[in-house]
Amino acid sequence: MTAAVGTQETDLLARLRAGDERAFTALVDRNYGTMLAVAQTYVKSRAVAEEVVQETWLGVLKGLDRFEGRSSLKTWIFSILVNVAKTRGVREARSVPYASLAPEGEEAAVEPGRFRRPETSFPGHWQAYPRDWRGLPEEALLERETLAVVTRTIEALPPAQRMVITMRDVAGCTAEEVCEALDVTDGNQRVLLHRARSRVRAALERHLDG
Amino acid sequence: MDDAAQHITCQEVVELVTDYLESALPADEAALFEQHLNFCDGCVIYVDQIRRTVATVGHIREEDVPDETREKLLTAFREWKRS
Amino acid sequence: MIAYKFLRADGTSVFTSFRWELPADGPGPWVEAPVEPCRSGVHACRIADLPLWVSRSLFEIELGGEIVEDRTKVLASRARLLRRVDAWDDRARDEYVRMCADRAHELARTASPPLPDWERVIEPSIREGPALLGFIAARIAEAASGVDAYRAERARQSAWLADRLAL
Repeated sequence: MTAAVGTQETDLLARLRAGDERAFTALVDRNYGTMLAVAQTYVKSRAVAEEVVQETWLGVLKGLDRFEGRSSLKTWIFSILVNVAKTRGVREARSVPYASLAPEGEEAAVEPGRFRRPETSFPGHWQAYPRDWRGLPEEALLERETLAVVTRTIEALPPAQRMVITMRDVAGCTAEEVCEALDVTDGNQRVLLHRARSRVRAALERHLDG
Repeated sequence: MDDAAQHITCQEVVELVTDYLESALPADEAALFEQHLNFCDGCVIYVDQIRRTVATVGHIREEDVPDETREKLLTAFREWKRS
Repeated sequence: MIAYKFLRADGTSVFTSFRWELPADGPGPWVEAPVEPCRSGVHACRIADLPLWVSRSLFEIELGGEIVEDRTKVLASRARLLRRVDAWDDRARDEYVRMCADRAHELARTASPPLPDWERVIEPSIREGPALLGFIAARIAEAASGVDAYRAERARQSAWLADRLAL
């Protein structure tokens, strides 16, 4: 954590403890989507996930005076969230069992068929290069439709992948924050991130080429 | 050292790209990765696609807090303030 | 220590896009970049490394501070560009490409058995430039005779460059 982030957080903490409503609602707004995505990794129903998020904020308020700042505020909030979600997930008899954060099985970033076969010349190299997106106008990737494709793709990801890409690339959490909050190894976090990013890239490619 | 890999394929590059961007590749593999990108336009394009994907994901507007939820939480905050 | 550095045509580093101040009447300014175990610091080529990092412009670079010799590059905590190697121009690049292509054809034809599939890759790759052709030639050598042949072909390429560019 850089010094700048440190003072920003000390500032925020002070304002929260002083009862600054705007600071609180801003914090809630900023993290809601990500917290929901994380909660949905552990509980199946969206309604239950929303309850988990609410319960988390209540827990945050309860512990706010005692929070010592040894981890970042975000990490602390997400740790509470994960605990609440896990507990709730166990209780929900019909929910998805606690999602293991160990990536399962194999998943190729790009279909093997796009590369030259092992028994040929230049094995493992592109049969045809992917399309160069550097030639696209700046706005192409920011169009509403494009963002909608990305959002839909992320929502459809396996829960653990969705959680990591949301925390890392949507919410801008660091790898350390994700590992600490979710109690997952750096390696596992990176595999999940890799798979998620690969799938989103593929979806973007289909959208832009199609 | 004589058995060390001298080069990697595009198929390997697309699997290593996240580790590379996270600076998590060991030095030798990072060198092989960069050597490959030095001659392979296809992979330069692919790595750029991944970078742009990450940037695009960063532009997603996060879900709005439902009004009811915000009300509940604000109430809880005010109660906490008072205690 | 004197070494070499390839940059893009616009004087930026290929992988970091760092913009170097190019030498004009004399060396450019010193650049500081702490060397970490894995990666950072300024990267540079010894003669043997040149074929692996071929790019548009070539400079002679002076390295100082902490210097770490890695397998295919040198890392230094400070460096400055001494002079552009003007001999590495369009003509030299074309000659290098042709040399590698000719070698690639020869290696593919004289392999036992010959490697027609590999040979077919050569001419279409010419327009992608020296780095790719250098790889193809060395890769065909490897396909024909193993990893030692790959290394030997790379050594041949370095020697050609050192000679042609009077390094």
